[in-house]
Amino acid sequence: MSTSLRGAQPIPETEAFWNCAKEGVLVIGTCPSCHKNHYYPRAVCPFCSNNAELKVASGRGQIYSFSVMRRVPVPYIIAYVALEEGVTMMTNITDCPIDAVAIGKKVEVVFKPIENGQVVPMFRLSA
Amino acid sequence: MCAMRHMYEYGTTSDQLAWIKVSASYHAQYNTHALLQEVVSVKDVLDSPVIADPLHRLDCCVITDGGGALIVVNPDVANSLKRPKVKILGAASAVKHQMGGRVDLTYSAAALSGPRAFAEAGLKPADVKYVSIYDSFTITVLIELEDLGFCEKGRGGVLVSDGNLMSGVGTLPCNTDGGSLCNNHPANRGGITRTIEAVRQLRGEANPAVQVKNCDVALVQAIGGSLGTRHGSATLILEREG
Repeated sequence: MSTSLRGAQPIPETEAFWNCAKEGVLVIGTCPSCHKNHYYPRAVCPFCSNNAELKVASGRGQIYSFSVMRRVPVPYIIAYVALEEGVTMMTNITDCPIDAVAIGKKVEVVFKPIENGQVVPMFRLSA
Repeated sequence: MCAMRHMYEYGTTSDQLAWIKVSASYHAQYNTHALLQEVVSVKDVLDSPVIADPLHRLDCCVITDGGGALIVVNPDVANSLKRPKVKILGAASAVKHQMGGRVDLTYSAAALSGPRAFAEAGLKPADVKYVSIYDSFTITVLIELEDLGFCEKGRGGVLVSDGNLMSGVGTLPCNTDGGSLCNNHPANRGGITRTIEAVRQLRGEANPAVQVKNCDVALVQAIGGSLGTRHGSATLILEREG
């Protein structure tokens, strides 16, 4: 996996998400009013507009779709992973041969440091 | 990722996607302004380098400068003009987001804007003689055509195959200027050049080699943004007057 990946610049609304990632914890958004989970996490629930909260996710899911980005020096895999909590997140699949990746395969979160000191949640194939 | 998921759910193939490019190149050979005027085959598309699986280089649009303009006038002014007139029968727009993480890559916002435009026009897909469909990638065309109701969801691969999008050959002539896959893609203005070609078809002013016979109703469809994350969609249904 390329270590030259550039992460998102945290803003006040997303700072807690990135701080959790640094601790090796994946969080998603959830709403205490309508009880629906959402991703990406944000201050206001996208379904009912009440104040949202963070919730620790299992880190387990399966690949909903993926693509291999081949026009870079080191090809990498972009993917949508459907988490057990019912939300789908855009991420990378890492630590495996490209040919091993397929829609429907089970994956688990892994935390990858990138060049600016941030830590980015990615996924690897479950054993 | 949209193409990958479509293949997974519906069995769509790279050959079927390639037919969309083949059809565009068939039309572009008659357009002396097109950036790519060479006719390509399904094999040419599949033999071109993979850019982002499963899309090859020839599944991707060109990048060009360019622009366009439309003049819309009230009926009094229109009636004083000596040129064939085109009337807007239906128009609608819609947006699609990630819906808080309820991601479904199998459809676009055309599934929302299309039915509204058809309802306003009082028409159905079978009434349309020509379509201009925004074509950032081959998969974009396939998903939009399904969403507009030109075939059942998941059957787009069959719809676009075997020259069915070629003027004079198939039943659904599409992008007779060569589209963004061959003709032009001026930054975020891909929709305007598609609209202009639809007007040409309705006026009978398209290149004679690709002019659709008895072209009285045309549809223009475009999305802006990203097919796989969030985008807006606009659908326009046009009719030749007089």
